Amino acid sequence: MSVSVVCTGLAKTFGGSVEAVSPIDLTFAAGQTTALVGPSGCGKSTLLRMVAGLEEPTAGEITIDGHPPADTLREAALSVAFQDPSLLPWRSVRQNIELACALARRPKNATDIDQLIHLVGLEGFADTRPAELSGGMRQRAAIARALVTRPRLLLLDEPFGAVDELTRKQLASDLPGIWEARGTTTLLVTHSVTEAVMLADRIVVLSPRPADIVADIPVDLPRPRRQTLSREPQFARIVERVFAALSQGMARNLPKAAQ
Amino acid sequence: MRLSPGGTDLSNVMQLKRPKSNGFKGLDQTIFRKRGNTMKKAAGITRRHVLGAGGAVLGAGAMGVFPRRGWAQVPVSLQLSWLHSTQFAGSYIALERGWWRDGGLDVTLVAGGPNAPVEPPVVSGAALVGISAADYTAAAVEQGAPFRIIGVAMQKNPFVIASLAANPVNVPSDMEGMRIGMALANTPVLEALCRLNDVDIDAIEVVPTQYSPQPLVAGEVDCLLCWETDLPVAMTIQGVDNVTMLMADHGYAVHSQTYIATDDSLANRRAEIVALMAGEVRGWEAYREDTDAAAALTLEMFPDAGLDPETQRLQAARQVPLMFSDLTDANGFGWWTDETVAANIETLALLGRTVTPDLWDRSILEEVRGA
Amino acid sequence: MIIARPLRADAPARNGPLRGLSRLLPGPLLALLLWEVLGRALADAFVLAPPSAILVYLYENLGLMSRALAVTLANAAAGFVIGNLAAIALAVLASVWPRSDGVVRGLALLVFCLPLVATGPILRVVFGPGPWPQIVLAALAVYYTTLIPLLVGLRAVPAGWLDLVQSYGRGRLAALLHVRALAALPYLVAGLQIAAPAAFLGAMIGEFTGAERGMGVLTLRAMRSMNVDMTWALATVATFVAVLSYLAIGWLARRFLHHEPPVILAAPTGAGKGGRGQGALRGLLLTGAAALLLWWGALALLDLNPFFAKGPWEVFSALVLAPDAAATRSALAEALGQTAIFLVPGYLAGLAAGALLAMLIVLVPRIAGVAMPLAIALRSVPIITTAPLVVLILGRGALGTVVLVAIMVFFPTFVACLHGLRQAPGRIIDVLDSYAAGPVQQLIRVRIPAMLPAFFAAARMNVPASVLAVTVVEWLATGNGIGSLMALSASLSDYDMLWSSVVLVSILSALGYAGVGVLERRVFRVYAPEQLQ
Repeated sequence: MSVSVVCTGLAKTFGGSVEAVSPIDLTFAAGQTTALVGPSGCGKSTLLRMVAGLEEPTAGEITIDGHPPADTLREAALSVAFQDPSLLPWRSVRQNIELACALARRPKNATDIDQLIHLVGLEGFADTRPAELSGGMRQRAAIARALVTRPRLLLLDEPFGAVDELTRKQLASDLPGIWEARGTTTLLVTHSVTEAVMLADRIVVLSPRPADIVADIPVDLPRPRRQTLSREPQFARIVERVFAALSQGMARNLPKAAQ
Repeated sequence: MRLSPGGTDLSNVMQLKRPKSNGFKGLDQTIFRKRGNTMKKAAGITRRHVLGAGGAVLGAGAMGVFPRRGWAQVPVSLQLSWLHSTQFAGSYIALERGWWRDGGLDVTLVAGGPNAPVEPPVVSGAALVGISAADYTAAAVEQGAPFRIIGVAMQKNPFVIASLAANPVNVPSDMEGMRIGMALANTPVLEALCRLNDVDIDAIEVVPTQYSPQPLVAGEVDCLLCWETDLPVAMTIQGVDNVTMLMADHGYAVHSQTYIATDDSLANRRAEIVALMAGEVRGWEAYREDTDAAAALTLEMFPDAGLDPETQRLQAARQVPLMFSDLTDANGFGWWTDETVAANIETLALLGRTVTPDLWDRSILEEVRGA
Repeated sequence: MIIARPLRADAPARNGPLRGLSRLLPGPLLALLLWEVLGRALADAFVLAPPSAILVYLYENLGLMSRALAVTLANAAAGFVIGNLAAIALAVLASVWPRSDGVVRGLALLVFCLPLVATGPILRVVFGPGPWPQIVLAALAVYYTTLIPLLVGLRAVPAGWLDLVQSYGRGRLAALLHVRALAALPYLVAGLQIAAPAAFLGAMIGEFTGAERGMGVLTLRAMRSMNVDMTWALATVATFVAVLSYLAIGWLARRFLHHEPPVILAAPTGAGKGGRGQGALRGLLLTGAAALLLWWGALALLDLNPFFAKGPWEVFSALVLAPDAAATRSALAEALGQTAIFLVPGYLAGLAAGALLAMLIVLVPRIAGVAMPLAIALRSVPIITTAPLVVLILGRGALGTVVLVAIMVFFPTFVACLHGLRQAPGRIIDVLDSYAAGPVQQLIRVRIPAMLPAFFAAARMNVPASVLAVTVVEWLATGNGIGSLMALSASLSDYDMLWSSVVLVSILSALGYAGVGVLERRVFRVYAPEQLQ
């Protein structure tokens, strides 16, 4: 059920000059949740988009369970929750979730959808159109949409950016349960270090553009992780390690940035 | 080509069938839709005419003698040169009274208009016969159209110089120093008129106008170059006192409302052309008997054309002197002689058109007369 | 305080036609009264019919008018449906197969630029008697103004929506079905709104090619018989129908769409994404080749008689090789020169009037109540009926023609400019407000630059519209210029000249369109670089 993603020598250059991702070798283990953390504009979204097959790498290759991403795409085996929720304004929350089923050519299961709507805390808003929802609510609808097709590979690009603090914590404690149960391989792009530590099995810290791996930090905290975990010392240790790696990355690319 | 001695009677008029598809490009054209009341009134006109014309021969046919289905009618189209009006009332009479049907034709009268092609349907064969004018026909022939003029409805060209009674143009020289309103396209016509009458065209100021007598009434121009039966009629009806000078009376000899057909049709569809022209001749002779009735029939047949009864009656009456003359009295409607053709060729030369007498082909009319 | 920002000048359209109209009554009522007085005073001039006379005429000829209206409306509706379906099909083609976009656009523009005065008789020859020339002319009059907004709408989709579709491994077709189609709906409506009056005009012009009944036939009859009441009654009915259809489509759209129809008269700037230089040249060549192929193919397929159906070679020969080619060329050049004298000032005046009125409404929002309905009416009146009226009032000289062209250009420019002026970013306006800059300052510094893209889009779209106007007026009223030359060539069977005129007018219109596009790019480089992506 689970898939692993292997990137070898992956690089992306925009317009022939803007180097977004410098050659990277990276493997996302099957069934694991990996967080990509790095400063804004470091190319982590580009990395995710390449894995999603939305962006062609300039060099290197990606395989998903040994196959090119196009195959995974064709099987509709992956889902992306974008930074921008990208809900269609003329469809209600439920209809937007159903759209994913239609696009992935999966039968739509009303109970499944109801459960997801409940999970993301949108009960009572199922028939509401996006224009009447707050930014955070839209992002939650987009997460529900990403989950409804039961993807084997789930790509989350800053999915909680507009979600309020309280709900974000709730989601952070609820969502991993689903991934675990389904054996989903998850790739999470975020710039929130605590969120990464809370959700991920492993954190890959990226340098400023062009993205390069600064540190690869395992998060060996027990699951399920409760919200209280953030007050534990081992949590704080990992957070500190990540911050340290981030500053190290900034320093490393400083001369380049100054050019 | 007349198929029976008993042309028509009331019952036949009542049976007047709807012309079916003319078969052109597969489009089903229903040109005439008869309503009940139209039929009744039309029948009234027919009766009046039948009695007036002393048509004992016509009245002979009895209902049922000519079963409708027995006729293998040939669908043909006659392309008119303008919108429906009494200008073509002779054709309407022929249609209404079944003269074409009796001649074995299922005739569709195709309306013209300001932007309607007249010559092309005749060239392509979509219309068997078209109504053009000698100058337009000559132009088309220059462009390679294989046309012959086979009948002349307007012996006298209908072009007039119309003016207000207060400031009249009675002879061509009156135009000197005046402003004339006309379509610029007609400049050769004015030039020809001036040449024919030794008038200095440079002394006339041309103002481009189209399709309306209003510039004359408003004083923008002093006279108009237009048709006798068109804008002057409108002015008279609107109570504007006007004077017309017929250009045909001042040497402008161009046959108008001429029937044209292609060489190919004349060779291969001769019987149909003869039948069509026979109906025309008969229709126009009937028209002459009672122009008011012809105008009334026009209004009945085309209730949606926005025709004004008074205008139509006046137009119908004014057409008569243009269409009928001693020549037609002697030889029948549509006739011409070598002399009138020679005069036409002369005027056409002034218009820049070189034509030869064989543009006119009288054999069809001769057959009609002989039949 | 300084400026009422939500400038709901088009409020009537938003509140439903009835409420809006009733709110506006005083202005029009005054105009009506003035009209009545003037009409009565000028009774002898055969120029103006007072409203009372129009009503009497309509009452007395109710049957005639309603039958004529029914015929023309039916043809217009058929053309509306066919033309818009064609536009949708072309837009879908360009969306599913983006490489065809440039050629689709180019051909569509070229066909739209075909002068109706000349296409009318050609269509009549092709179709024979019956309603098809009317229907096809109506379709030709509408498809372009639907196609362009639709192409914009199909593109104006956030990249994220397309990423979503792609992330499930689905292609362009799925994107079209699930995302683009509905996203483009408001743009389609904007196109349809403009199309409705245009279809009516097309159907009326079609009737001039030999129809037996309809509003166009009656208009002609009224003109010739100097029946002023009838002329004005026809114009009134035609305007009424056109305005109603405009409002009705807008109302329907608001009823069933979740977002407002955008006031988009705009085409995206670059004809192709290929950029300039070589790409543009290739597009031009491709379009030209496709046009020639279509032209040649259509003649061959329809098996038209060479007496009137001239192919590319015949036209080339008439213009270049024939012994009288020089005479043909100089006749064309002279006619085009005469036309340009009316066309250019009218076009510029229309653009200026549209932009100025839009600015005036932004400065003095109160006048919108009177100006909007009047503007819609002016735009909607079929030019066939306005042409005699304007010529009656302003005479046959340059003024009448110039004014008619200006009227044709005015409304789309006005609507587009108003939209553009209001698009000025609220925050920038707030900044100016904070410096206590007055409305005039705001207009000059923020709103006019914000208006430029819309203004140029309208200017471009108006090139073919103004050519239509000028040729119709020349043909129906003044009898000079290229419009008259085309009508004359048809009546003299000079089909070489007719087809040459058609080709030239179409190419010149298309070039005019492109020329405005070039100007537009220059201005945008300064004021709206984001439009040039």
